[in-house]
Amino acid sequence: MSLLKPFSKLPNINTASILLVESEEHLQQSLADVLVEESSITVNVRLAKSLPLPKENDKDRPRIDLVVFIINLSSEQSFISAEASLKYLDPGYFLGKVCFMVTSARSAAVPTERMDAVRKLAASLHSPLLFAEHQTSEGVAAAAERLLGILKVSAGVVPMTTALYLSNLTRCTLPTDIEQPSFD
Amino acid sequence: MNDPGKCLLKRVIRRIPANMLKTTLSHWGRVSDAQLQSVDFTTSKWALTEKLLNICEENELTVKHVTELEMIHVIDYPNLGMWYAFQLFDPDDAAPSVDMTQFKEQFKFHLSKLMRNVSVKIKKHTDEAIWIRVAWGDGFSRPNHMKPTYVVHHLQSSYVFVTRLTSKLKPLLSQALVLSTRYQGIKDANLSGRNLAALRNLLMRQYQQVFSTKFSTPLAEKSENISNPQIEREQAESATKRHQMACEAFGDGVLPQLQSAVYKLETKFRDHNNKTMTDREEPFKCIVKFTSTNLLESLRHCASSGIASTPVTPLLSSVPVKGRNYFVITDNVPGSSSQTNRPQK
Amino acid sequence: MDRATTSAASTPHRSALVKRRSKSKSHRQSYRSCSGGAASRIGLTPALTARRLNTSRKAPKSLNITERVNAEHLALLVKTKWKLCYATPLYQFRHTMLKSYARQLSAFIVAEKQRGLAVEVEGAQNHFRASFSVLQGLAEADDPETILIQIHSKPLFSSSEEPQRCVWSGWLSCINGNLDYLHSLPQGFTCLPLFGSSGTEVLTTLVKSWCQKTFDCSFGPLEINYTSLQWFMALLTNCHTESNIQHLKMIWSIPVEPPLQVAFTVSPQDAWELWSSVRTATRDLADPGGCIDFEEVERFTQGLKSHFYRHFRLDLSAGSLKEVSTALGGASINGRVKISNSRYMITTLALLTECALLKMPI
Repeated sequence: MSLLKPFSKLPNINTASILLVESEEHLQQSLADVLVEESSITVNVRLAKSLPLPKENDKDRPRIDLVVFIINLSSEQSFISAEASLKYLDPGYFLGKVCFMVTSARSAAVPTERMDAVRKLAASLHSPLLFAEHQTSEGVAAAAERLLGILKVSAGVVPMTTALYLSNLTRCTLPTDIEQPSFD
Repeated sequence: MNDPGKCLLKRVIRRIPANMLKTTLSHWGRVSDAQLQSVDFTTSKWALTEKLLNICEENELTVKHVTELEMIHVIDYPNLGMWYAFQLFDPDDAAPSVDMTQFKEQFKFHLSKLMRNVSVKIKKHTDEAIWIRVAWGDGFSRPNHMKPTYVVHHLQSSYVFVTRLTSKLKPLLSQALVLSTRYQGIKDANLSGRNLAALRNLLMRQYQQVFSTKFSTPLAEKSENISNPQIEREQAESATKRHQMACEAFGDGVLPQLQSAVYKLETKFRDHNNKTMTDREEPFKCIVKFTSTNLLESLRHCASSGIASTPVTPLLSSVPVKGRNYFVITDNVPGSSSQTNRPQK
Repeated sequence: MDRATTSAASTPHRSALVKRRSKSKSHRQSYRSCSGGAASRIGLTPALTARRLNTSRKAPKSLNITERVNAEHLALLVKTKWKLCYATPLYQFRHTMLKSYARQLSAFIVAEKQRGLAVEVEGAQNHFRASFSVLQGLAEADDPETILIQIHSKPLFSSSEEPQRCVWSGWLSCINGNLDYLHSLPQGFTCLPLFGSSGTEVLTTLVKSWCQKTFDCSFGPLEINYTSLQWFMALLTNCHTESNIQHLKMIWSIPVEPPLQVAFTVSPQDAWELWSSVRTATRDLADPGGCIDFEEVERFTQGLKSHFYRHFRLDLSAGSLKEVSTALGGASINGRVKISNSRYMITTLALLTECALLKMPI
């Protein structure tokens, strides 16, 4: 099984590479546009619908510093596809180099069970869970900014911090009442 | 002019959009230029109708003349309801040589033999299409011009499009068509929609078709960001492949506007997670209806975005390939049955 | 009624007790499991309301409520398509003061019209009269009784023989509301979380603003999400043996350009057989009081989706379920509901009450 490995390649100076995985392929495009505008470092953005990534690109692909799974809560398939993609990541990524981004979390049409399932997934993988608002440009810009923060740490361009250290602070935790279906 | 004529004129004027009214009336030719000049086309439709009624009285026009006007309007704006497609089959040797005048004569002759009191108007449009307007009466009453049937037939093709036909009158019209076009029979093409041009384009394949090639040239990236070298799509190849297969199944560019497709499924339920249902002998009966403002474009987008797996299943691709949008799927015939009785929706 | 058991995973024995810190007298203490004493020091306020629907519930019994409820009221409830909202608990609401409320509401409507805020399409000449009545017989256990509100009107200059037409109706209800929540409300509050309305938007807004002013409550839209729609589907299909559902229709919306709508209608007998095949073998199908687990509901929906996928290779999970309907009733994601058969009124309203209680802000 072709796993994506975090440390199998050498990093480039002042460069960070991010992989955005999204089944619908909507938000990743707008996020990519904002991410590449970052001036302090060079950001390479790779877009994918799901994992595994095609083998042909292995040679040209830079070292991926951060893998972001974008899940749209209004479709069940989005979550299922993201979950299925997880097994193509080398376990080394789960030490702070994986992040989950969720859209449409405030939509009332979304059942709470789906949100809970994403939370549980993120918590079990010790990864941060970000919420994004994808319909306005300000929302996309805000989401991109947060991703950049984590990306810079994962790429090693922030002194005194590593991805693992950061993930200890930012990882998703489950509220204690998540299992509580009703009042008692 | 009698009452039916007046009613019909009022309805036609109401339907014609205000900006087209003057041109349509001059096209009609029953109103002199002087009279047309005297009408102020900026007043309300109601006032216009009154004025035009007076002019028609002056010119002693009858209901037959008004039907001409209606026909001109319908040819320009044919989307006045659901159109149903029919196909003639088994042509006689004489069929290809039937020309316009012959057809006209024969059709009028046969139809009036089948039913008294029908009023038929036939007109040839610029694009080789014959338009027929039939107002039906019965043995006792005069033709009802308020509920006419419109038929469109392209002489050199075997397709006929009909709108506003009741099931009672269908056999009469079918018979007249068959006899006058020198075919053996006519059957339901199982295709319906609101947009006549779309039905015609679909059946006659007048839209941009894509054929599969073995050595396909890499399609240009459709995304806007190809210029930015820092953004790379990992699965661009599979995306283009999906897009290619979607276009092969449905076509490229703007597709004919179909509104819906109905599948009546009577197949067995098969699911390896559910043994009880899989062992069941009877078919699982259900009806699936796909609706959209442009069905073919929606389906194509489903295929190219991966929501529908590619290669596109024959059930969906049959819509453009076979040119129909009503299917009955059973286990024995992997495909669709074409002789089914189709409800007029 | 026996409260349905909670999810399959058994809740761990609560080890610590956290007192609710609030200035008002706390009416109950909430048990929470805490890791270390950290949580209690932070002072987490325990939630009074649930976070999700019950994962298992009782199969709906066909209840012949025609004896319990006034036939006219029942007819009104059954033939109309209702738009649902949730309402927070009402303060100082008395079931005995209905006549006074009716007068107040009528006066309020007149006042608002004179202020020019309400613009009626039918002309400002109409004379409105509101009426409040109790819909006796629907409530169970500790539920407060359901209230029916109707607004009648007739043109101002019509003769007195002309009957008044009912132009707007609405109801506030609580069926099988969670007993803990009901008992935990402070004195003076009545919990009627489910609000249904049918009529013009203008009148609905007027009624809502009057209620907000008089009872210090607030209203909000009640969407019926995917989970609840699935429950609807399963519960109604379950009733097929007693009352024919005639068809099971689902409307899905696929997010493509232009949007694609898929209407998937299943014949009733086949739907019923699929449903009974997913119920686990340990259940006794003949027992009408059996519990239904959400897993079974999910398997039912999954079966339908996979049959669809087998033919069209189109994954309905990529879209969203917008509407479910049968001859016994239907619900759509934007909060519109129709209950066509009075026998299942209680069950449907109980499910909807649970949905409404989930939306309570505290």
